[in-house]
Amino acid sequence: MNSAPITTWEGAKAYFTFADQPGVLMFISALALAVCVGAIAAMIRHENACVRKANGA
Amino acid sequence: MENAALLAKIEALEASVALTKTVNAEVFYWWCTALMIAIHAGFLAYEMGASRAKNALASGLKNLLAFAFLVPTFYFFGWWIYLAFPTGFTVSDAASGGVVWGESMGPNLGDNASGIFWAAFTLFAATTASIMSGAVIERIRMSAFTILAILLGGFVWILGASWGWHPQGWLTTSWGLHDIGAAGCVHMIAGFFTLGVLINLGPRLGRFNADGTVNHIAGHNMPMSLIGLMIIVMGFFGFLGGCIIYNGGTWMTIYNTPTTLSAFAFNTLMGVAGGMIGSYLVTRDPFWMMSGALIGVISTAPGLDVYYPALAFLISFVGGCVIPKLADMLLVRFKIDDAVGAVAVHGFGGVWGLLAAGLFASGYPNVEGPAVSFGGQLGSVAVFAILGFVPGFAASYVLKMVGLLRTDPKVELAGLDISEVPVKAYPEASTIPAFAGEALSPAE
Repeated sequence: MNSAPITTWEGAKAYFTFADQPGVLMFISALALAVCVGAIAAMIRHENACVRKANGA
Repeated sequence: MENAALLAKIEALEASVALTKTVNAEVFYWWCTALMIAIHAGFLAYEMGASRAKNALASGLKNLLAFAFLVPTFYFFGWWIYLAFPTGFTVSDAASGGVVWGESMGPNLGDNASGIFWAAFTLFAATTASIMSGAVIERIRMSAFTILAILLGGFVWILGASWGWHPQGWLTTSWGLHDIGAAGCVHMIAGFFTLGVLINLGPRLGRFNADGTVNHIAGHNMPMSLIGLMIIVMGFFGFLGGCIIYNGGTWMTIYNTPTTLSAFAFNTLMGVAGGMIGSYLVTRDPFWMMSGALIGVISTAPGLDVYYPALAFLISFVGGCVIPKLADMLLVRFKIDDAVGAVAVHGFGGVWGLLAAGLFASGYPNVEGPAVSFGGQLGSVAVFAILGFVPGFAASYVLKMVGLLRTDPKVELAGLDISEVPVKAYPEASTIPAFAGEALSPAE
């Protein structure tokens, strides 16, 4: 996978992976955001399981 | 020929000086950011110590989660909000610099500023969220806290910062707000947001008796709390350093008025001392004495750049004397169980700091907008209080309605550690009931 937005360091500015592909950046950002949302959902499931355990279920 | 060589040398020297300035600025904010992480280490120790042993790790876990979730949240939304809304609710052209798929939001050889400023602001955001975390210990659900921390640190405070802690913020350009150390957008907003959450969250089990009298719920490790508070004070040197705009050549406040790091050094230290002495005199309690140090920092924060140091000391001293009493009033009269006094220290401390700047720093000119005035400071206090309280109350109310705000009473009685955390804080102490998570009574 060629992720480099530059072919030379001469005059390079934004050089991070996929910097020249906004669509890919949006997709990666959406994935990262989904990880955060999923982690909170997992936290809620864990808490609910703990409550059930504490109540003897 | 000699002239051409001389010109080339001058150009090379100028380029070298410019590079040095850029690098200096980057280095300065890098270390301010690192120092601010000490605030989180401090909050971690302080809140674990303020918790009963059965909740120590859950309290710490909460702090770690706030930090971990605030970093990506502030990357996705926070920085954009700051750049977008200085004039109110209209999106500014500068917002493009904070769009996550833009060229500024990643490694860029043509932009040495965005990353380092984003990092500093991210730590301000995490600090803001941490202010809430101590108040709600021992009964809030971890997930609810994380959601509220994201709302506070990723959205609410940074909107306040855009309005009142930005060179073009409307509170400054229209009302002349002077708050160079972020007492309003960080401390006041966090304090009033927390108040809204506490109203819906309710007190810890056993905090109040049926007749309304208060039971003392002691944390399990006061020395740890004291050390934590001192570490927070150290971290605030990074925080307040990060409040200064440094371009490698000159020092400016966030409002583009000139200042020096020396000014901040004078008044930060005098503020810390004044708050500590004030709180000591009214409580004799080392916990409140160290909270008084924070009160001192917050009380002087708005006018750190202009106060005469002895005046900064006195302003903090007054804050240190009064704020612990207000914390008592919240508990005894209003039945607000704020486990660490965060609403009083940060919320009311921020109010006092902003009003003190109106009383003692009126007349100082702003680069944009009217001069500093008591009326402008008072109006800004109202804006920050509303901006903090309403989202905190509304979001926690929704969480309460869907059963996600507060943990189950059985879990709360047994202790959150034993229920939710897979490791023990003090495994060798498992024969002691309170350490083992077997509550003798709700307040234990």
